[in-house]
Amino acid sequence: MSLSSRFQLVWLLLTKMTFRHWRNKAGHYLLLMVIVAVGVGAFNGIRQASRSASANFGLFNQAVSGQSDFLIESPTQRLLEKDLKQLARLGKSPDWNLVPVVEGSVTAVELINGAKKQLRLIGLDLLALGNLPTLTQQNLKFSEENASWYDWLGSDNEVWVGQSLADSVGVTGGDTISFLASGRKAKMKIRMILDDPDGNLPDDLVLGDLPTVQHLLSRSGELNRVEVVLTQVDRREDKPYLAEIEDRLRKELPRNLILSPTENRAADRAAMTAAFRLNLTILSLIAILVGAYLILQALDAAVVRRRAEIATLRSLGVGASVLFSTFLLEALVLGLLGSIAGVGVGQVLAFGAVGMLADTVNALYFATSVEALSVTSLDVIVGVGLGVAFSLLAGWLPARDATQTPPAQILAKGDWSPGFFWLRKPKVGLCLLGLGGVALCFPPFIMEAGSKMPVGGFVAAGCWILGSALLAGHGLVLLAGWVRPFCSGPVSRLACSRLWDGSSRHRLAVAGLVVAVSMVTGMFQMIESFRDTIEEWFDVRFQADLYISESGVTGAGSINGIDPTLLDGLLRQPNIKYADIMRICYAKPARGVTVLAGVDMKHWSQEARQIWLKEPGTLQSVKGTEPALVSETFARRFGVLEGGVVELQTPSGMQKVSPFGIFCDYGNEFGMAAISQLEWIKWTGSERAVNVSLYLEDRSKLKEMRDQLRIAYPGLDIRNERELRDVALGIFEQTFQATHALSLIGLAVAFAGLLLGLLSIFDESTQTWQTLKHLGFSTQRFILAAGLEGAGIGVAAWVVGAITGLALGWLLVFVINVQSFGWTLLWTVPLANILWFGVLLTVVGFVSGMISASYWNFRRR
Amino acid sequence: MKDFAGPFALAVTGAKKSFGKVDVLKGLDLTIQSGERVALMGPSGSGKSTLLNCICGIEPLDSGNIQVGGKELSDLKRTELEKIRRENIGYVFQSFHLLPTLNAFENVEFPAQLVGMPRDQRIQRVTDLFNDVGLSHRKDHLPDELSGGERQRVAIARALVHRPRLILADEPTGSLDTESGGQVLELLKSLSIEIGVALLLVTHDHESTRICDRVIRMKDGFLISD
Repeated sequence: MSLSSRFQLVWLLLTKMTFRHWRNKAGHYLLLMVIVAVGVGAFNGIRQASRSASANFGLFNQAVSGQSDFLIESPTQRLLEKDLKQLARLGKSPDWNLVPVVEGSVTAVELINGAKKQLRLIGLDLLALGNLPTLTQQNLKFSEENASWYDWLGSDNEVWVGQSLADSVGVTGGDTISFLASGRKAKMKIRMILDDPDGNLPDDLVLGDLPTVQHLLSRSGELNRVEVVLTQVDRREDKPYLAEIEDRLRKELPRNLILSPTENRAADRAAMTAAFRLNLTILSLIAILVGAYLILQALDAAVVRRRAEIATLRSLGVGASVLFSTFLLEALVLGLLGSIAGVGVGQVLAFGAVGMLADTVNALYFATSVEALSVTSLDVIVGVGLGVAFSLLAGWLPARDATQTPPAQILAKGDWSPGFFWLRKPKVGLCLLGLGGVALCFPPFIMEAGSKMPVGGFVAAGCWILGSALLAGHGLVLLAGWVRPFCSGPVSRLACSRLWDGSSRHRLAVAGLVVAVSMVTGMFQMIESFRDTIEEWFDVRFQADLYISESGVTGAGSINGIDPTLLDGLLRQPNIKYADIMRICYAKPARGVTVLAGVDMKHWSQEARQIWLKEPGTLQSVKGTEPALVSETFARRFGVLEGGVVELQTPSGMQKVSPFGIFCDYGNEFGMAAISQLEWIKWTGSERAVNVSLYLEDRSKLKEMRDQLRIAYPGLDIRNERELRDVALGIFEQTFQATHALSLIGLAVAFAGLLLGLLSIFDESTQTWQTLKHLGFSTQRFILAAGLEGAGIGVAAWVVGAITGLALGWLLVFVINVQSFGWTLLWTVPLANILWFGVLLTVVGFVSGMISASYWNFRRR
Repeated sequence: MKDFAGPFALAVTGAKKSFGKVDVLKGLDLTIQSGERVALMGPSGSGKSTLLNCICGIEPLDSGNIQVGGKELSDLKRTELEKIRRENIGYVFQSFHLLPTLNAFENVEFPAQLVGMPRDQRIQRVTDLFNDVGLSHRKDHLPDELSGGERQRVAIARALVHRPRLILADEPTGSLDTESGGQVLELLKSLSIEIGVALLLVTHDHESTRICDRVIRMKDGFLISD
């Protein structure tokens, strides 16, 4: 048969048969498309939401002007006055303008309904900007009338906000807005709402004049960076010119500062959250995978239902390859339509997920703003491409099954199914389990920002899940074989014998459930291990009476701090026996970023309780370096678990730290090196503390003192140990929200798959049910037998899935977590949860069986 | 205990059944006495299978009456019809239709379990039947592992295990070779005589009618000869 006539035949079958089946079961096929759409939507939605949630509008060019060309930064994101003096010569060039920027987080309070909102405060030299109107492509106006635009000069309490922020917090020009910044409360006047017809300004942006913002953030004389804007804007794409400018800038740049093209900054931030986003991507791929599993089940059901038709076609001489192409094309059309709808669904889901993910990024990485959600052409291509690819993969097996249907004369003899023979062979499953074990030997992949991606761990997880899914059918047969001798009643004997026979479709249904069960069981363990470890950490580590930090700023990577004058006043309070002050800043190792802390070394190494991986003194600091207590994450990241030296770029240049003890810390994944306070202040030139732990003389007055301090210092968060634990666990729960949501999606789809699978099984057993009917087997008994069959599938899936899940839990705790975050967790196996899950699976299996049988019976009648 | 009260194992009067515009049974009358063996012949489409389904209570009549074991089927609820099928009727199919996941012994035991026969009695009954059909050595085998003749012998044992009053045999030799078919017919005859069960044998094969007391013919929904 020529290619064109083959194509014509496929088209004929598709239009005259397949699509007519669709028309007859419009609801069913619509549901399938919805399933694909939800799968693709979940993937695209999380992709868009994580991109939007990780957006960083801190850059002046992104937030205000639309363009700057280079950034001059300190590795620690703090430029000091002495650095600015060194930049004086750069400022004289006519080829560029320098725009100094200071930025930080503040909390707006006393909003409508008493709400709070975390905002990004950006300080710019507005006077310079006013004199350089061409600098801001958006031509932002800072005053209504140009003649009086500089009226605000000399005022230190005026800010500008964008229209979207004004709308969201309900303020207009001339209103006042209260901020908590550096532990103090400040009332600011809104000078003007910035005109933003295109909605480019983020909804958490507050602009202020440089000195005003420095004062608010208690960072007088400090900048975050200087942005370089070229004068000849038309030469921005001229690469030789840009290279020449970069070269000239570098020549004049002090050694302790860094020059980088602007786009590198966004890339740096993206790299910081790369592991987080990759984990989300992998999780969201699960949504597409489970969608594909449903497509597989549904198309398989279609093959079973159309078996007689396929057999007749074969009798009429339709070739196997034509049938294969027709079914594959059906999967393609389903996938394509569903995926296109999925792009829209993704947009809706992204709206729901973006806030949640932004909170997680805020808590774990850096203060972030939510960018307006947008669908790029790449989103469409990736989403539709994945949806179609997975649908085709899912359609492959049923299509192959269809081609193996013999002609009608053979089929007439009774129940018939070629089945998925490979599900009956344990070799592939066992090989995959072995391959997973081998994959554990792969070293982690080092990402751009220095984070590690446990490739071997993920490959092992995939192999083990797939391998156990393939072996699940053997588990089903084995279990049914054990139970069979105890089944004496007709219903239980029938159900058990069918499970023991282990048809391909029974095996496929168990396999799908095993994937869901093992993933959920693994997740249970990881989350419980995390929770128990954090609680244990809290019990040991947090022994002080009160904990004080700047209000509203919860991010692990936050370097905001408490105003030193304010802190001095607070520490003069009576009843304070000891204050453990912690100062932190970013420090730049060769790759990525880490945290450098200044602490009371004597207290930390001798008095404060820690979970020590290596007790202080068990490691020997290298001479000529700064002795440090480092977190486990730091030690693993920089390979100093057995001691050694790590070189860090600090505001005072390159410094060497050497660990003499390693403590467990679950605060961030960048790692932390703690050095003595005095040295830290010398290296950073700052005295701002990020938090303080207070030990009281008289602990009976703890509540009274906490309440007094709260009244006296409204800009500070003052919490006891229990409250601090609640906040930390809140962040923890936040972090796992996406995991929970995706686990639920996975489970729901697996159960839907079980329903579809059971329907296929009953369709394929039509002859058997007819026989039973003639033998007087009642409908109730039939439904009960189906329920028992479903329950048996549930039990087998639970047993195999729980065993695989335990292996996955071990993998997540001891390989993936250690390689990704450098955290050693206590391995907790939540036996009660796993047992309850088993009960739930059995009940759901039983109910699914009964529902499918009732529906099947109803359809027959 | 069976609640078989009337003198007839089966009584069909004025049975009419249509599917859409097609009239399949057009007022058919038929009676079979207890222990009587009747062959029902007729061309394809004459309504034989529909009649069997109506006698089983799987298809309801449009009008007319069917009594099985003295019970009027049209008066019964679905669950009571299932009870009639379970207790009073044994069915033998052309394609055997043994339950593929149960072994031969379990297949035969199954209807006895459905009627709640005590275990000891049931095991004894099934063992006796296996001796009768000559398959004691094959009772642990799955249907797939048996020949066509063996499968049909198991199916006959299954149809008789619960001591029904009426056996409906739908072309029981249709899938068998002549020799196996002959053996099966002899078995049906001897066992039905032994138990005293009525037999309605649907067949196309004149040879099969030799085991019957009476031969009736159907055409276009009517009985045309008796």
